[in-house]
Amino acid sequence: MVRRLAGVAALLWLAGCGLPSGDYFGAIPDVRDRPRHLRFCNQGEPDYVDPAMATSTTALPVIYALFDGLTLYGLNGMPEPSLAERWDVSSDLRTYTFHLRHEGRFSNGRTIDAYDFAYEFIRILHPSSASPNADGLEFIKGAGAYNGNTGRVLLRAQGGLAAGAHVEIVGAAGKSIEQWTKDGATPPDANIRRGSKPLALRDLGAAASAAYATAPAGADVTIIELTGGPVSMASPDGQVWAYVFYDQGDGAFGWVPLAELDQAPSAEVDYEVRALPLRHQIGIEASLEALTADDAVTRPTVHVRGADLLMLPELMGMRIPDRWTFVIETAEPTPYLIAASPGRPFRPTPREAVSRSPRRWTDVGKIITSGPMDLEAWLEKDRLELVRSRTFWNPDLVKLDRLTIFSMDDQAANTNYYAAGGCDALASNNVPTSYRPILNGERRRYLDYAVVPYNGIYFAWLNTEKLTNRHLRRALAYAVNRKRLAGVLHGPIPTAQFTPGTPIKDLTDAELELCGVTRDQPGVALIEVAGEVCYVPPLGLDFDPEKARAEWALAKQELGADFPKSLTYRYNSGAEAHKIIAEYLQQSWKETLDFDVTLEAQEWKTFVADTSQGKYEMARFGNIGSVTNAESEYLVLFKCGGAQNRGRYCSPQYQALVAEARKLTDRRARNAKLAEAEKVMIEDAPVIPIYIYIQDHLRKPYVRDLGLNIVDQVPVYRAWLDPDWAQHPGRSTSGEGPNAGYSTAAHPEAAR
Amino acid sequence: MLRLILSRLVGGVGVIIAVATFSFLLLHAAPGGPFDAERALAPQVQRNIEARYHLDDSLVTQYTDYMGGLAHGDFGYSLKRPMSVGEIITTHFPYSLTIGLMALLVAVGLGVGMGVIAAWRRNTGVDYALMSMALLGISIPSIVLGPILVGIFAFGLGWLPPARIEGPASYVLPAMCLGLIYLGTIARLARGSMLEVLGQDFVRTARAKGLTERAVVWKHALRLGVVPVVTYLGPATATLISGSFVIEKLFGVPGLGGFFVEAIVNRDYPVLSGVLVFYVAFLVMLNIVVDVVHGLLDPRIRSGR
Repeated sequence: MVRRLAGVAALLWLAGCGLPSGDYFGAIPDVRDRPRHLRFCNQGEPDYVDPAMATSTTALPVIYALFDGLTLYGLNGMPEPSLAERWDVSSDLRTYTFHLRHEGRFSNGRTIDAYDFAYEFIRILHPSSASPNADGLEFIKGAGAYNGNTGRVLLRAQGGLAAGAHVEIVGAAGKSIEQWTKDGATPPDANIRRGSKPLALRDLGAAASAAYATAPAGADVTIIELTGGPVSMASPDGQVWAYVFYDQGDGAFGWVPLAELDQAPSAEVDYEVRALPLRHQIGIEASLEALTADDAVTRPTVHVRGADLLMLPELMGMRIPDRWTFVIETAEPTPYLIAASPGRPFRPTPREAVSRSPRRWTDVGKIITSGPMDLEAWLEKDRLELVRSRTFWNPDLVKLDRLTIFSMDDQAANTNYYAAGGCDALASNNVPTSYRPILNGERRRYLDYAVVPYNGIYFAWLNTEKLTNRHLRRALAYAVNRKRLAGVLHGPIPTAQFTPGTPIKDLTDAELELCGVTRDQPGVALIEVAGEVCYVPPLGLDFDPEKARAEWALAKQELGADFPKSLTYRYNSGAEAHKIIAEYLQQSWKETLDFDVTLEAQEWKTFVADTSQGKYEMARFGNIGSVTNAESEYLVLFKCGGAQNRGRYCSPQYQALVAEARKLTDRRARNAKLAEAEKVMIEDAPVIPIYIYIQDHLRKPYVRDLGLNIVDQVPVYRAWLDPDWAQHPGRSTSGEGPNAGYSTAAHPEAAR
Repeated sequence: MLRLILSRLVGGVGVIIAVATFSFLLLHAAPGGPFDAERALAPQVQRNIEARYHLDDSLVTQYTDYMGGLAHGDFGYSLKRPMSVGEIITTHFPYSLTIGLMALLVAVGLGVGMGVIAAWRRNTGVDYALMSMALLGISIPSIVLGPILVGIFAFGLGWLPPARIEGPASYVLPAMCLGLIYLGTIARLARGSMLEVLGQDFVRTARAKGLTERAVVWKHALRLGVVPVVTYLGPATATLISGSFVIEKLFGVPGLGGFFVEAIVNRDYPVLSGVLVFYVAFLVMLNIVVDVVHGLLDPRIRSGR
């Protein structure tokens, strides 16, 4: 009896484990009955769908579908004009002028103009919003002082400062700001007002009877904006209106006539202020040298009354010359701003909805969107139902009528659901590692599985303060055979270069020309702006046992008795791959150099703290770029004394080359200079690059134009279904663009 | 009986207050906060967020605010998503409840049956077979059992969906997976207690009266034999119904368990304490039910002394 049961169980088990046969992983549903409905398996539940509040990557596909922006991600992960028809960039890369189209609409029919972009900056950076995304706008002039609640506009000329001057508070009520912070207290806020009568919070210009919230008489409200300011709307009726925040319960924002705010509790408080540095002054042209010189100047402080100060949005680096022009000014040259412009902070949200219900305005029924799709249903942890918007200005962009986004977070559950035909495509990296060898195996390669490079690098930091000898570091770098390791790990792209990109052999002919390389050249190239800017990182110290031993001998000679007997390599516990890699490195150094390295695993938070404080010799790390820009995402790591410089690498030669590059406004010349700097760095070996991260995707063969790209910003709402896919085998199933060409063998067309 | 229930209710409220206090203190003592991330936020951004969510208030103020809210049945707002804790519980508990009840049905129905049969046919091949299966059920963790069940029933036979709740059929696999773990324990408990009961005088009397063996076992002995199972069912039901994080994750079920574990990882204080207090209240209630059922099953317990 027992034996028979066991036999049946074994049979069932075999049946159960049988892999999907055929060319594709699992069922291919017939989509003829729903040709305009895509079902997408996301990696989990979005935290928010509000662009100002969302921090999870799972929120991005939803936000991109619901909210329009200055630009939108194209299939290739690069920005395409949307609300901004075109833009101009100043030669010093500090001023960005966006020319807006007149057709942009919120789903309530209201036109989107430059004031809506200004409002989004206010929303994200005003302290009362408590937006975790405020960090992402730190490059804007004055953003730090505004978000830190220390920036102020001086309302009356005094102490040598003109009326309207932009100043920062250094002291309040006889105590310095540092002291206030240290005491865990907040200085009195001169923006706080009270009304002697209840305040009816309403839309701009509306009658008091149309109020949606009321602040009682004597309650604190915070002034955020006044009509008629440089970046604020004009008053509809001649009197000045104030946009205020009332912090009670969920909080409410709204407009009231300024005259009703007749009490100012901090009017007589004494503040010590000084002018903001030139770097943060708006609308002023100055050379980079002048700015650097000005940074060092000590500005005199002036004592002023609270009544003469207000924090207003014009402190932030933006200008609105007319309703259809939005200008962003940055403190530093920001060559990556356009690449970042499809991001969350540049997607305006409707003030009328947010003000009424700051926390819940994205609820189904309340939400006002601006993007290609509307939110029809949101079932937490299950799915979101999106339907085509009737107000979006560019309806041709979308071929779908409905987009269902499932929110399961388990990789196996997602992949199994896909295999059973429940969803048409998976978000990237939603496949369990244990499935990889099956999907991309030697015996069978499923045609709906694709692997593309990711804008990220896995590497080891060498602490240059402990491993001071250059030859020692170089020997360690030369001794690692990355190709063999990548094979062990099933997939990642082995590399000895630091800045990641697409393998040169996989570039298109046009891209080869843009990058100035030939197909037989080794290494990778990073397309920074499609068709315009390419960065070719220098080759690194790839596996070469001869050179490794030569450098090793030199190091021994130079260090003599100081030559280390052993070294320790650290990794964070919790991920099996880190351990495998650590053991591989240990073995490589033993084989090639006959040198013993001890391994040490650490809990993540401790690991992060120790490595940033330099308490280690060698340690693994990863760096992922949010935009395709070598300078801002990768080379920034090697800045002397930089917070992210865990290797404590500081080379005058490297610094000088980067400084030279930053003076070049031609991006080709700039990148060439940056590559020279990277060459200096990689030859000094403060890092051992190991592999370029990859993303893997599963999508049914009938899914078209699901742009797989290096930054993993996939505009899912632009995909479409081809019910007769079997008759069009030659057609691309994904909108491959620059940087997406790796592992062509895993692409359906190439495999055929 | 009424007095028993009342006194248990009063005690229950005390337990809830103690758990709420203890969990509040523990959570705030745990390292890391809700807005700590790999890439640290700028200090001023962190300060703005703490001010907005009143995390910069003194611990005493936060505690009184929290307990004041609880007294009004207000669990507060999640720090990580635009939902109140109350909404999270009312929306997602039903999924966990359904799966839990179905799992309970599997575990009790099959478990007691297996246990009684094994006791009845003790030391025979049937006994050994059933008890081996029970042991297997106890030993295989759901993280292994889940994929096996998916492999068999979703991909092998194609009878059931592998993930997500799309209809009644979707509940079967998670409920089976969850129930099988408890089935083993219940079967062994039932067998042990039935063996003991079958050796008692009243069973001999029943047999002597000439009752059939079937009637002796299923009518007379079973009633006493399931008492340990009922005792075990209190906490087991609470565990089953409160939602298994692993099962919910494996099958993509939007139950409460997932929110609970996620809240721990995120240090989402209001969600974590709210769900915890809800669970404790639920457990207290179940224990009262168990006491009442005990009384109904065994007159000696009912008399209360």
